[in-house]
Amino acid sequence: MVGPTASLSNLSRADGSASFKCPTTGCSVLGSVNAPIELPARRDALKPEEATVEVFVKPGNTTAGVGERYVEGILRTMLQKVILGRERGFARRGVVITLAIIGGDAVERGDSYLTLLPALLQTALLALLSAAVPMSMTFSTALLAVTKSGDIISDPSPVDAKTASSLHVLAFSSKGHLLLNESQGRFDFDTWEFVRERAYSTCRGAVVAGSDGDIAMDEEGEEGRADGFIRETVEDHLHRDYAWKIDSA
Amino acid sequence: MSAPLILLPGDEVLRDHLPSNNSNPLKLGPGLRLLSQPSSKSKAGNHVLTATQAGLVTTDAKRNTVSILSFSNRRYIPTVNDLVIAQIHHSSIDYFHCMVTPHTAHALLGQLSFEGATKKTRPMLKQGELVYARVLSIGVGAGAEVELTCVNPATGKSEPGGLGPLVGGMVFDVSTGMAARLLRASSSSSEQSDTIDGLTVVSELGKKLESLGGFELAVGRNGKVWVDCSNAGDSAIKATIAIGRCLQTTDEKNLNPADQKKLVTRTLREMNLAS
Repeated sequence: MVGPTASLSNLSRADGSASFKCPTTGCSVLGSVNAPIELPARRDALKPEEATVEVFVKPGNTTAGVGERYVEGILRTMLQKVILGRERGFARRGVVITLAIIGGDAVERGDSYLTLLPALLQTALLALLSAAVPMSMTFSTALLAVTKSGDIISDPSPVDAKTASSLHVLAFSSKGHLLLNESQGRFDFDTWEFVRERAYSTCRGAVVAGSDGDIAMDEEGEEGRADGFIRETVEDHLHRDYAWKIDSA
Repeated sequence: MSAPLILLPGDEVLRDHLPSNNSNPLKLGPGLRLLSQPSSKSKAGNHVLTATQAGLVTTDAKRNTVSILSFSNRRYIPTVNDLVIAQIHHSSIDYFHCMVTPHTAHALLGQLSFEGATKKTRPMLKQGELVYARVLSIGVGAGAEVELTCVNPATGKSEPGGLGPLVGGMVFDVSTGMAARLLRASSSSSEQSDTIDGLTVVSELGKKLESLGGFELAVGRNGKVWVDCSNAGDSAIKATIAIGRCLQTTDEKNLNPADQKKLVTRTLREMNLAS
């Protein structure tokens, strides 16, 4: 199967940017991050000790509507937890994330946005990394569909997603915490538990039964696909950037 | 030493990557933070260093520092004591209002913060003129003003040398990572080797353009390089452009030292400057 492709720092004017293409849904997303910037018009709405995270999602062919507002809300609450908004220079300033859907099937009004959510989250993460916004951890996401017969498919195609009885998007942090759980459709708790295990293994590789959140660092070899993909993309880019330093060392 | 260590936010810095100098305390550079993990065994808990930005871990054994080098095209955020190239936007009674980075609030440069400036004799800078200045303070919190200075307030001298208005020449934009590299290359004693931090382009240009009378460079941490070649007479403009192009291409294409030499030769030949 073809994996996703991504590149970092495509835009020269933004502080950080990334593009991400997901092969199964065919959607490609271009994300840019500007941080820290002044948000002079919002002085009353700003929290006194933290950075304000703003997310904008722009569909390729129409103006943003209700669906985009909804997904912006999901992204914002999740990213706010990961970004260290209290670092020096970030308090009372803004972290503005703009995600443009530049390819793939458009989401019709009333359709599920969950199929696009993983791609949006991955793009946002890569763009944040590229802008060097301080974060407490990284994360990886998985999209799973449960068919009518009860099978769990990871990375369902648009057709599978339409016919599925339930759709789930889960995000796990690099420390193994469950950061995001968005589900839609009919399912029971047992199904969700299976979905969680499956998502954990696609995100992080081996299933670790743990709530302690303490995972040894030296298991990089068996890291999952999604997690390893982010790391590879970033490492590739940094290797190219710092070739002069790495070669001379 | 060990293989280059690239970290993502949340990763721990392993102990064997830290400098092993125990005489003075370890200093943390940008992109790292100290967390203490409560452990059940001992009451004190153990401390771990974790990264908050993605980047390459660099250590300085002499000064006992560890920091993270992030992507090189990030935006410049003023830090105290950085050297920057600022452009005057307008002037008011007490201050020159300068642009350090685009789309940010103006930085303030005192009318009298130049070497030997008094109320009577002070530089009359006009809109668009350039100054080489040091960041004096960055204020607290959002909306705070960044203040620049061209003198050391303690001694009244322009320290390090060269601070003050930049007359003539031309400014080129480079990435902030490249600017930091150029500054580091110039601060480490230049005579010991030709390549510092993998940069030969400056020393190579220096050799080739010596016959034209050499050139002056000023590097601002905000991603600006000022080039002046006014000694070169008729070919001054050509030489300035050539230097700027060489620096920008080296930055964009991430050239290695051998390619940098080739680039310098090629650019100078194209401009009919080869001596």
